[in-house]
Amino acid sequence: MLIGIKNASKFIGISIIVCCAVVICTMFLNFYFDVQSVESQITSELSMIFYDAQVSTAKVVCMVSGGCLLLTSVVMLMFYIKHYIDTHKKELGILKALGYSNIKVAKHFWVFGMTALMGTVIGFGIAFLMMPRFYALQNEDKMLPEIVIHFHPAVFLYFVILPTVGFSLLAIGYAWWKLKRPVLSLLRNDFHSVDKGKKRTDDKLSERSFVDDLKRSTLKSKKALDFFIIFASFCFSSMTQMSFSMKDLSSEMMGAMMLVIGLALAFTTMFLAITTVIGGNTKTISMMRAFGYSSKDCCKAILDGYRPLSYMGFAVGTVYQYALLRIMVDIVFKDVEGVPVYKFDVPVMLVSLVVFIAAYEILMFVYSEKVKKISIKEIMIE
Amino acid sequence: MIKVKDIIKSYGNGESSSQILKGISLEIQDGDFVVILGASGSGKSTLLNVISGLERPDSGKVFYDATDITALSDNQLTAFRKENIGFIFQQYYLLPDMSVDKNVKMGADLAGNKDYKTVIKAVGLGEKLHKYPGELSGGEQQRVSVARALAKKPKVLFLDEPTGALDEQTGRQVLDYICKLKKQYGFTIVMVTHNLNIAEMAKTVVKMNSGKVSDIYQNEVQKTAYEIGW
Ligand SMILES: Nc1ncnc2c1ncn2[C@@H]1O[C@H](COP(=O)(O)OP(=O)(O)O)[C@@H](O)[C@H]1O
Ligand SMILES: [Mg+2]
Repeated sequence: MLIGIKNASKFIGISIIVCCAVVICTMFLNFYFDVQSVESQITSELSMIFYDAQVSTAKVVCMVSGGCLLLTSVVMLMFYIKHYIDTHKKELGILKALGYSNIKVAKHFWVFGMTALMGTVIGFGIAFLMMPRFYALQNEDKMLPEIVIHFHPAVFLYFVILPTVGFSLLAIGYAWWKLKRPVLSLLRNDFHSVDKGKKRTDDKLSERSFVDDLKRSTLKSKKALDFFIIFASFCFSSMTQMSFSMKDLSSEMMGAMMLVIGLALAFTTMFLAITTVIGGNTKTISMMRAFGYSSKDCCKAILDGYRPLSYMGFAVGTVYQYALLRIMVDIVFKDVEGVPVYKFDVPVMLVSLVVFIAAYEILMFVYSEKVKKISIKEIMIE
Repeated sequence: MIKVKDIIKSYGNGESSSQILKGISLEIQDGDFVVILGASGSGKSTLLNVISGLERPDSGKVFYDATDITALSDNQLTAFRKENIGFIFQQYYLLPDMSVDKNVKMGADLAGNKDYKTVIKAVGLGEKLHKYPGELSGGEQQRVSVARALAKKPKVLFLDEPTGALDEQTGRQVLDYICKLKKQYGFTIVMVTHNLNIAEMAKTVVKMNSGKVSDIYQNEVQKTAYEIGW
């Protein structure tokens, strides 16, 4: 088998994100369909306004969170396939040299679509388990006639079948495209493509120490990882803060759901990103250790650069959730009575920030311990 | 002086355990040029790693003058390598995302060496300061790794099959650079190879055979990289 289970296990992160997306989208889209079936039974004008608000919320939430999460999982999948190919270039090159056609090799990458299937099926199941309570809460004040849960094949198609097929095709296509490179460039060792236009005359800046230089180049060489770290902090910040406001604006359940999903997303993304950072730099770290750099220096060079990024992600998340809720309250719920006033919640932001800093630093500490354990002999094991 | 005493080292445990170094003792004088010669799998690399403090032996001691490095803590051992040791491996292990001068700076910073560009010039790469490893030939990459090791001004330079991945011509050139720089800087060389001819360049030759030293002798004349057969 070309792609081992060990590699596929790395894709659990994608499963989790897909799962979160599917839970939210399935619930809201299903609700969106079911709520429309009661439209004809609505009599009062007040109920009608409430009805309209419910329909638009369902649409907005479905699009914003679903779209955002789907995009993230696509980027993540691409990144991991690229990473997989880069680290298994030689094996793939050998297969190609032996005469396997690109498409024959690429076909095996359908396995990555299974990570999506796992996430979507579990997400779909969870959504249906939670739906009775969710429907009841959406209609807590009995403003609308009773909404019955139906199974909509379209929802199943959109959120289970399409993502799975889409992800499989995406994986195969991307792998195929990557494999189009000539055999030799796959077989050659650490062949690094450099864009020739790059400016190389920062001589004045070369007074920077090696550790600082390495810090910069770590950040620069894997931009996707930078994005994930920002995204993880963004998720943490926006979802935790939003969950508290949601508690007041919507329901405790919505708040709790958001909190759980936010934390799950933030931690999986962060975990996967940092693991990849360390995995990708193992050789560098062990070489530095061999030369006599302390493990503190190694951690500084490899991990410290991400700190500003994650704080940036937190700031962006704070602004984002405020803007989103502002729009929800001022535009979507504009005509609905009884919606509490929404203000920016400073104490919640501060608590969230403190928890964020603590969690981030603990995580970094755990990882720096992991860096310390990297054996110097690692470099000699090819 | 380096004194290696009764080194034993095994890998694996229980049934599958096998002894790779079976009681090795030798002495290396300051400024010596030692070649450890032996067939593939005889334990040369393992011995080199133990002497250089990359690995701990199961038993036995390694003295650098009065210091027994097998008794040092991990942090002390790191500091020891920082002060004393340089490495050159068969695979160059350069950092692919950093230019030549920054790769060399990795070594230079450890010794606070501001003058590292002269070392890059000394290995003939003065023109390629801003190139990336992927843009260099194998021989050039190995010369970068020579410069990186020497920029930290080591007292002892350890080389594990430094020409193993190079063709004859480039191999000779790299060895020649190393010998020239040895004359200039005066460090001790401990080099591992399975190439009999390269051993003719050494002052002291240590022959290894399945985990044991089978012979130690001094060459009366040391040949240059261009005089040896290949
Ligand atoms: N980390 C390791 N774990 C298990 N066996 C090892 C390890 N490193 C080396 N060996 C074994 O030790 C023996 C000697 O290896 P090595 O010192 O690399 O020999 P040489 O450099 O002379 O070719 C080999 O049989 C190798 O398989
Ligand atoms: Mg070896």
